[in-house]
Amino acid sequence: MQTATENRRWSKEYPELGTGPVPAESCISPEYFELERERVFRRTWLNVGRVDDIPNAGDFFVRELAVCKTSILVIRGKDGVIRGFHNVCSHRSNKLVWEERGTCRGALACHFHSWGYNAQGQLTGVPDEENFHDLDKSKLGLTSVTTDIWEGFIFVHLGPQPQETLTDYMGGVAEQFKGAAFHKRHLTHTYKVEEQANWKVALDAQNEAYHLPFQHRYSFPGMFVLKDNRYLRLSGVKLYNHHAVWSTTYNSESTPTPTGALMNQLNTATTNSRLPMLGDFDFFVIFPNFVILQFRGIEDDYYMTYNFWPLAVDRCIWEIKFHFPPAETAGQRLSQEYLKHRICDVLQEDAVAHETLQTGLNSRAKTHLILQDDEIQIRHFHTVLEDYMGFFNGRGH
Amino acid sequence: MAGVSLPEPFQSLEPFGAWALATERERRAKRLSSSMEEIQAFYDALFPQLEAVVAYLDQFPLDQLPAEAQPLYYLTLSLVEVTSAVELYHNPHIFEAIEPARFRRVE
Repeated sequence: MQTATENRRWSKEYPELGTGPVPAESCISPEYFELERERVFRRTWLNVGRVDDIPNAGDFFVRELAVCKTSILVIRGKDGVIRGFHNVCSHRSNKLVWEERGTCRGALACHFHSWGYNAQGQLTGVPDEENFHDLDKSKLGLTSVTTDIWEGFIFVHLGPQPQETLTDYMGGVAEQFKGAAFHKRHLTHTYKVEEQANWKVALDAQNEAYHLPFQHRYSFPGMFVLKDNRYLRLSGVKLYNHHAVWSTTYNSESTPTPTGALMNQLNTATTNSRLPMLGDFDFFVIFPNFVILQFRGIEDDYYMTYNFWPLAVDRCIWEIKFHFPPAETAGQRLSQEYLKHRICDVLQEDAVAHETLQTGLNSRAKTHLILQDDEIQIRHFHTVLEDYMGFFNGRGH
Repeated sequence: MAGVSLPEPFQSLEPFGAWALATERERRAKRLSSSMEEIQAFYDALFPQLEAVVAYLDQFPLDQLPAEAQPLYYLTLSLVEVTSAVELYHNPHIFEAIEPARFRRVE
């Protein structure tokens, strides 16, 4: 595995992105945030979950998409098809389902007047129906949301007409992950952190390896400092049309902690289906707010996802999910618990930075972000953002 | 869960029964409410036996652990909960981290 030692290597590969500072206004301007609702979040495919979240007919989950000012109901119909709907009753627009997840047995009934809907979103029951005027139930189902599935990940699109299919939107990422055995890893842990930070500040802070030796000096002392790669230069960067991935290699020189050394000897759970990895650690940013992180394990690989959900210009929810091969023994489960625990320590440190970065940006003491070559993926992200927003220096569509 | 009873080879760990906690939320709360001396004592008792404990537990499929092995399993999860406190931070808390309650586990 070759790690870059040549200076400013990536900007030579991607000269069209330039090398100048990036405006910070997009992370603090309320007006910009209002426009992001329409120009970004209603014009892109948004990951809202996985097919495994709703394995059986009638299973559903609800997503509060504050940034699009709507609540989305994703439900698997009796026919096995997963559909997305606005979670809004056809009668007088009451919010239909209040639970975060559940199973529809028979009908989903509105809390207001008990209008009922089946798992395909059709209106099936109206109390005192005879007293309505010309009511045609067949035309009063739930309002559909464009929904599609890529490698088991469920996406919705809230625009009137998506310009690209989901597969086209995923572009080179779809090729990279074609047939990847995500489904063989199970969701084991979910965390949510509500942060006083713009969603991009939180995402940008995660979207590089440069900070690891410094910000995580307590949780991983020495881990990210290699003799021939002191600053954890990236081993790979690929910038797609909308999305990006960067990779690092593991540090084989670092001494594990006593527990870490013991965990390394445990037999770990395996699916016998390695993930299609580029490095030892891959960080895929799926524009706008979804991240897939792949980790090379000793006997098998595991992955995590992040979703950054904007609430306001300076508030977001960072949603974190761990997906491990199914553990069959206590030892396997324990080794996963250990990895998860070490990573969660890091993420709790990261969350502090998201908020201290936002505080600094809010002061407007600085107007721009200065990015080094191994932060080119952040530059790329802001360029893609500008492609949609059209203010500063996007590439234009 | 004080007064826990453990399989015969591991009965020396019974005084640490309060660490046999089923959920991550409870284990985290236990770490955060314990002194470093209490954490260290628990770690010092269990860590030298961890390999043997795991070998014992691994005789069974995880979803068919016998009742008396269950608290032993929870103890190992609590050990992982305190491993960084003992081996890295020498403190029950992570340095420069958000308040633990804000890092919310979704069940």
